[in-house]
Amino acid sequence: MSQRTVDGPQLSRRSALRASAGALTAAGLAGCSALGGSGDVQPISDDALTIWHAMGGGNGEVLQGLVDDFQSETGVNANLVFQDSYEGVLTKTLGALDSGEVPDLAQIDSLFAQQVLATGSVEPVENLLSDSFPVDDFLPNVTSFFSLDGSLQSMPFNNSNAIMYYNRTAFEEAGLDPDSPPTTLAEVRDYSETLVDEGVTEAGITWPNHVWFIEHFYSVDGQTLVDAKNGHGGQPSTLHADTETAREVYEWWRGMAADGLYSNPGIEAWGEATSTFLTGNAAMLLTSTSFVTGARNGAEENGFEVDNAFYPTVDGDRTGPVIGGASWFVPSDLPDDRREEIGQFLEFMASPSAQITWHKGTGYYPIRRAAIDQLESEGWFEQNPMYRTTFDQLTQAEETTATKRMLVGPARQVQTTIQDTSVELFDGQVDIDEGLAAMKTSVEEEFDRYYS
Amino acid sequence: MSSVATLPDRLGEYTEQMVAETGGDTRDGLVERLSLHALALGAVLLLVLPVVVAAIVSTKPTGIVTSVADLVPGRSGAANYRRALVGLGFWRFMLNSFVMAAIIVVGKLLVAALAALAIVYYRLPYKNLVFLVVLFTLMLPVPVRFVPLYRLVVELGWNNSFLAITVPYLASATTVFILRQHFRSIPSSLVETAKLDGVGPLRFLVSVLVPMSRGIIVGVSVIMFVYAWNQYLWPLVIIDTEGQQVAQVGLSLLRGQASSGEIAWSMVMTGSILTLLPPLALLVAFRKPLLETFTLQQR
Amino acid sequence: MATREIFENRLQAGLLLFPTMVVSAVFLYYPAIRAVGLSFFQASFGRDDAFVALDNYARLFTSGTYLDSVFVSVLFTAVVVAGVMAFGLCVTFLIHEVELGKSAYLIAAIWPYALPPAVAGLVFLFLFHPTLGLVTSYIEALGVTVDWFTNGPQAFVVVALAAVWKQIGYNVIFMTAAMNNVPDSLTEAANLDGVGRFQRLMRVYVPVMSPTLVFLVVINTIYGFFGTFPMVDLMTKGGPAGATNILIYDLWRTAFQFYDFGFASAKSVVLFVVVGALMYVQFRLSDRYAYYGG
Repeated sequence: MSQRTVDGPQLSRRSALRASAGALTAAGLAGCSALGGSGDVQPISDDALTIWHAMGGGNGEVLQGLVDDFQSETGVNANLVFQDSYEGVLTKTLGALDSGEVPDLAQIDSLFAQQVLATGSVEPVENLLSDSFPVDDFLPNVTSFFSLDGSLQSMPFNNSNAIMYYNRTAFEEAGLDPDSPPTTLAEVRDYSETLVDEGVTEAGITWPNHVWFIEHFYSVDGQTLVDAKNGHGGQPSTLHADTETAREVYEWWRGMAADGLYSNPGIEAWGEATSTFLTGNAAMLLTSTSFVTGARNGAEENGFEVDNAFYPTVDGDRTGPVIGGASWFVPSDLPDDRREEIGQFLEFMASPSAQITWHKGTGYYPIRRAAIDQLESEGWFEQNPMYRTTFDQLTQAEETTATKRMLVGPARQVQTTIQDTSVELFDGQVDIDEGLAAMKTSVEEEFDRYYS
Repeated sequence: MSSVATLPDRLGEYTEQMVAETGGDTRDGLVERLSLHALALGAVLLLVLPVVVAAIVSTKPTGIVTSVADLVPGRSGAANYRRALVGLGFWRFMLNSFVMAAIIVVGKLLVAALAALAIVYYRLPYKNLVFLVVLFTLMLPVPVRFVPLYRLVVELGWNNSFLAITVPYLASATTVFILRQHFRSIPSSLVETAKLDGVGPLRFLVSVLVPMSRGIIVGVSVIMFVYAWNQYLWPLVIIDTEGQQVAQVGLSLLRGQASSGEIAWSMVMTGSILTLLPPLALLVAFRKPLLETFTLQQR
Repeated sequence: MATREIFENRLQAGLLLFPTMVVSAVFLYYPAIRAVGLSFFQASFGRDDAFVALDNYARLFTSGTYLDSVFVSVLFTAVVVAGVMAFGLCVTFLIHEVELGKSAYLIAAIWPYALPPAVAGLVFLFLFHPTLGLVTSYIEALGVTVDWFTNGPQAFVVVALAAVWKQIGYNVIFMTAAMNNVPDSLTEAANLDGVGRFQRLMRVYVPVMSPTLVFLVVINTIYGFFGTFPMVDLMTKGGPAGATNILIYDLWRTAFQFYDFGFASAKSVVLFVVVGALMYVQFRLSDRYAYYGG
């Protein structure tokens, strides 16, 4: 700026601006650095627990019901705030942890667990539970993912796997036996061909193009997706895209798409996929076990009989699905009275009765053995075979490194790379080996950048 | 004063004029004029139809429209709009948008009027530099600065507040520009008279400039309202909670719900029409001042 | 103009300018400058900022996604600008030539100015939806499979269509004003010379309207790069496989999905330079080609 001395007031205004800009920069840079100090953390609301979640539609209503029950039972106020998607919750939570104005609980998807843990700004939920709380009563397959060094970091709440739903009525119309659904990729293809040739549906199968489904193809085939024990044994550095599993899956996918047997709903298009299935455009659907209740209701509305079956294997050998769904994370350094109330909430949500209500209303697993025992004694699983199937898929799974969902830092980048390259692969835009190699290189770069 | 007797003459004159205008045989001219109308109508229909279809779909229960024959207005109009507004809470999104737009319009007008007043009617060294500094902000649209802006706003503690979605918009290069152009077109004789009368700057603004700028003020207000109402990217970034979200982003929530089959697509159209109505109403009501303001902006 | 400057109190002037300057400084200039600064760092949530000098910029050249995004954006903007100007000019001309119902046609042509881009995106998403779309069934009757959730070029076309459609209104407003300013004498002269309508439009009107047209090219370019974000976000989310990943969407995703703030800042700086350069080039061209004479 010029150095004219004539402009009295103007010059002082300019230097005032410069000074305030300088102050802001300093404040800004200070804000840039990682949050280490305690006492900086403030809950969003003074008189209620703020709970950020991603449960929309019917599941959201069940959650609200549970929260209402919690409020009437304990007298603690709680506000559920819907953030549209797990990605939405993640972004807001990371921003909140950075700025210091935090929710009391955030529902973080298992894919993003590593990123949140890496901030160092969350408290292991085990510290918030009362001593008498039976931590051993949790299902081991579920809790092992969410624990570090034996200590439970976040409270599992809505956990699920992917599973295959199919339209029994369509099967019958096409001359297929609804009691023996396909179990391998090749069988899925055969069934699809029959369904489409008979003109019963427009496509055989659909599923949202989300990395979770690739993870399942791998885990069911006993193959880890990344190295370092799928990220649980250290920092992963590469993607296992150059394996038999990958090649078989993508070649199958490409063939299905080319022959019109696969309907593409879009990237991460959960809703579009279920719509495609419910409106009868596709006879088979791969999606979450949390959709059981929705599937039942939707099928009724659309006039067909629905059923589910284990996720198809690549070639007949089945290891098991990966855990999905989310858990409650709690920011650290909250005041003690808050922590107590949060502990009450966590215990309530993990109580057998809440778990049973949640399971029946959605399809997510009850993670407490006590809850499962009660459901079994009620005969619930006998009367509701679809819920039984989802459960069996979980309990019959082998516990190996492949069935522990990957733990990666740059989760969103890896997810997007895999999803975008998948489109190129199944649409035939690139050669299979080329596409897989490109995917591998990109992911390696992302790991390198994140972990260095 | 025209009498019946001159009617044939006037008719003759008129016909001659028509012939001259169409450059020849009236029959050809008629065909040409009709085809012009047909083309114009066609073009305008293309511009209007998509939204007309949307409006029709918004009255249907499901929104499954497979052929033009289905385009009969449905019966669920009232139910849909009520559900969107109340059941899905769209009224809150609209209210937030209104408040945001209103604050921005009033705020920007005030701030820009004061600035234009200073730039045009004050003797100030480096005045042009100041004006350029303001104008240059046109080169700094939201995308160029929104990452640090996000951090700044969060540090100020403004996330999820109306402050975040109003204050950053209050310095408007285009508004200052338009007002400056307009002020400069006010006859200097008026200005000199005011000076002779010893009028102070604020009195001058209120009693001289404002009455002379009514059209422009209305025009600029409509422009600013439409701009504010249509903001999508910044509210998307800075507002997390549904309670504070604006209508534009609320639409993407509706879309998500429709994709997952929780609500019918017709509801998305209902939300869209609701979001469309306020700026459209303003455009239609104030098109004359708006058009004047636009042509002023060009110079 | 000296006679207008009736006030001399500089303190008052300063106070009057203060709100504008403060807001400009704090919310426009400061973040823009900080964006430049941040572009030299690697910054994300929960980790300290690390100085990486020009690394982020080097990454831009090696990032396939980014380079694709540049290509897509340039192509997209070019298509949108061309489409909007061409169709806008035709509509304006038709309205100009028609004698009856001018104001009705005008309102019908201008109204998309008020249309929120998000609504434009949603309406087109719905009309062209691969399974539910109304227009889809007619297009498929012509033998084309509508599959723009997978097919990149198709997705590009649908989004571009929505973008062009929305922007025509704004252009018609200015083009009408400019066309109405063409002296009648020119029109009469053209008619006397027996010049056809289309020739009259291209040879006489367009040159006379050129300052406005240049202005509109600039505005449409900015719209093509920035104003089309809602459409991409609502219709394709940059996909499929980056076919509609315009620079502004790529930038948003880098910042708010990947939390790669340093890299995102580098991208914003580049975007600023690109748009600035484009605008400069266009202004220069306008000096050369615009016909200001009467």
